Amino acid sequence: MTGDLAILGHYLPQLIGGVVTTIGLWVAAAILSIVIGMAIALARSFGGPVVNLPLALCVQLIRGTPFLVQVFLLYFGGPALGLSLDPIPAGLIALALFGGCYLSEVFRAGIRAVPPGHVEAAACVGMTRLQTFRRIVLPEMFVMVLPPSVNIIIGLLKDTAILSVISVPELTGAVQQIGSETFAFVLSLGLLSLSYWALVELCAHAGRAAERRLSTFRFVS
Amino acid sequence: MDGKLFLLMVKAAGVTAVCSVLAIAIGIAIGIVVCGATLARPKPLQIAARLYVSFFRGVPLLVQLLLFYNLLPAVGLNISSFFAAELALSLCTSAYQAETLRGGFLSVSTGLKEAADMVGMTLWQRFRRVEAPIALRLTIPAIVNEAISILHASALVSVIGVVELTKTAGEIAASNYDPLPVYACAGLLYLIMTYVIQLLGLAAERRFPVRSA
Amino acid sequence: MTPAIEVSGLVKIFGDVPVLDGVNLSAPAHQVTCLIGPSGSGKSTLLRCMAMLERQDAGSIQIDGQPLSIAGQHARKGDLRSRIGMVFQQFNLWPHMTALGNVAEALRTVRRQPRRKAEDRAMAELEKVGLAERAHLYPRQLSGGQQQRVAIARALALDPQLMLFDEPTSALDPELTGEVLNVMRRLATSGMSMVVVSHEIGFVASVAGHVAFLDRGKIVVSGSPEEVFAKPRHPRLTQFLETYIDREASQLIA
Repeated sequence: MTGDLAILGHYLPQLIGGVVTTIGLWVAAAILSIVIGMAIALARSFGGPVVNLPLALCVQLIRGTPFLVQVFLLYFGGPALGLSLDPIPAGLIALALFGGCYLSEVFRAGIRAVPPGHVEAAACVGMTRLQTFRRIVLPEMFVMVLPPSVNIIIGLLKDTAILSVISVPELTGAVQQIGSETFAFVLSLGLLSLSYWALVELCAHAGRAAERRLSTFRFVS
Repeated sequence: MDGKLFLLMVKAAGVTAVCSVLAIAIGIAIGIVVCGATLARPKPLQIAARLYVSFFRGVPLLVQLLLFYNLLPAVGLNISSFFAAELALSLCTSAYQAETLRGGFLSVSTGLKEAADMVGMTLWQRFRRVEAPIALRLTIPAIVNEAISILHASALVSVIGVVELTKTAGEIAASNYDPLPVYACAGLLYLIMTYVIQLLGLAAERRFPVRSA
Repeated sequence: MTPAIEVSGLVKIFGDVPVLDGVNLSAPAHQVTCLIGPSGSGKSTLLRCMAMLERQDAGSIQIDGQPLSIAGQHARKGDLRSRIGMVFQQFNLWPHMTALGNVAEALRTVRRQPRRKAEDRAMAELEKVGLAERAHLYPRQLSGGQQQRVAIARALALDPQLMLFDEPTSALDPELTGEVLNVMRRLATSGMSMVVVSHEIGFVASVAGHVAFLDRGKIVVSGSPEEVFAKPRHPRLTQFLETYIDREASQLIA
C-alpha cells in the first residue's frame, strides 16, 4: 500500500495538472453558464414568442438528452459541420451550454416569482424598467435562485469528470492514465473519489453559508 | 444511416431503458431505507446515513462506476460490467431519492399528524395511512426528475463497456465514420424516453393529487 | 354531576414564558364552555393540553372523572383520545382522502370496522352536517366552511364524549362562518359536551353555558355568560372586548 502511494507520488506533476485543469474548466464553465443562463432567461421572459419558442426548443433538447451524448455530438459530430474543436474547448463549450440551459430555467422561475406588486410599486415611485430590473427584480431574484444555482454549479464540477472520455486531461482522466500505467486502480480511484467528495462538500458548505447570510433579505415569502 | 442500423439503436435503447428502470426501482427501495435511517432516533444510524447520502451525491457518477468496476474484482467478486453498472447507478440514485423522501416526510404538516393522533391512531397507523401516502405524493415531481437524471446518467455506463444506446452509437459511428447523424439519432431516442417518463409523471400526479397539504 | 373535563392547577411553560399559569377550569357536561381572551392568553394551549397535544408542566386534567396521564403509552393515549373529538383552526383534513374517506378512516383503522359499515356511518355523519352529496370530493375541492364541517363529522363519527374546538372559524372567510357555527349550535342543542375557543362573541353569548376569560395564562373571569358579560365588567375583559372584538359588538351583548 505504501509502495503504491510512493508510485502515485511519482505522478504528482500529472495529478497537479489534472486538478488545475478540472478547477479551471469548472470555474470557466460556471461563469459562462451563468452568463448564458441569464441571457436565455431574459430573452425568454421579455423577448416575446418569436424569441421564446426557438430558445425553449434548444433548452428542451439539451435538458432531454444525456450530457455525454452532447459531448460526443459536438466533439465527433462537429467536424461534419466544419466545427473541429480540440478536446478542451469542445468540453468547455458543451459544459457551459449544458449548465446555461439548466440555470436559465432556474433564473426564469426566479424572475416569475418576484411579486408583480413589487414591480408595480417601483413603477409608482417613477423607476424606469431598467432601474426596476436592476434595483428590485434582480436582488429579489438572486436570493431565490441561489440554492438551486449552487446545486447546478456543483453539478458542473462533477460533470467535468465526464470530459475525460474525449481525452481532456482533467483529474479523472489523469488518474485513469496513472491507474493503467501502475495497475493501482482501486487505490487511485478511491483517492480520486475522496478528493471530489471533499471538494463538493466544501462548495456545498460555502453555498449554505451564503444562503444563511442572505436569508435576512428573503423578501419573498 | 440505414434502417438496419436504426433498428440496432432502438434495440440498444431497450437496454438503456432496462438499465434505468432497474436502477430507479432498486434506488427507491434503498432510498426508503436510507431515508428511514436519516430520520431515525439513534445518532450513529443518522450519521451513517448522512455520510452515505453525502458520498454518493458528492462523487461524480463516472468515478463511482470506475471505482465499482475495478474494486469488486479486486476484492474477489467477479461480476459483469452490467452488474457493476447497475450497482453504481442504484446506489447513486438511492442517495438522491433518500434526500427527496426526507424532504417529503418533513413537509407533511404537523396539523395533519395531530389530526391522526386525535382520532386515536397509533404511530404505525399514522405513518402508514397519513404520513407515507402524503409524503410519497408530494415527492412525485422530484422522483420523476430523478428518473430522468438516471436515464441520462445511464449513458455513462458505456464507459465501462455495457452495450447500451450510447455505446452502440459509438460503435456505429466508429465503423461508418459518420458520427453526426448517429449521435443525433441517439439523442432523439433519449429525448423520446425522457418524454415518456415526463408523461408517466404527469399521469401519476393526476392520479394521486395532493395539494393544500 | 361530574364535569365533562376538569382542569386543576395547570401550568405550561414555553422556554421561560409561562403560557398557562395555574389554570383551574371545570367544564360542565352537556353544555358548551367557551374560552375567550386576547391572542397569546393561553386559551389554545389550554385546549391543546386537554387534547394531549401538549404536555403540561404541572397540574392535572380529568375527563369524566378519570385522569389523563400523558405518561401512558401511545396506544393508551389513543384510547382516551378517541373519546375526545378535536376540530382544528386549519381543518387538517387529510388531502389524499375524499370527505367520506376522512370521516371513515378512523372507524376503519382505529375501530377496525369493515369498510361498508364504516362508510355507512361516515355517510350518516356527513348527512348531519349537510354534505352527503359532496362525500366523494377531495378537501381541495371543498370550500373552507365545507372542509370544517367535514372535520366536525370526522370527529363525531367516533362518538366522542367531549368535543374540543380550536378557533374553528378563524381561518374562514366571514361569509362562511355561519354554516360552521350553525352545525356547532345544533350539536350544542343535542346535548354534546363542548369546549370552544372562539372569537365569535355573538356565538359565545348565545350558546355558551359557561364562559372563561383568559388573560396572560390565567382565568380572570368565569361563569355563565350573563355573569361574565354583566356590568360592571372586569376592566381587562372590557379592554379585550373593545380592542379585539369591536365597540358595537361589545354593546350588543351589554
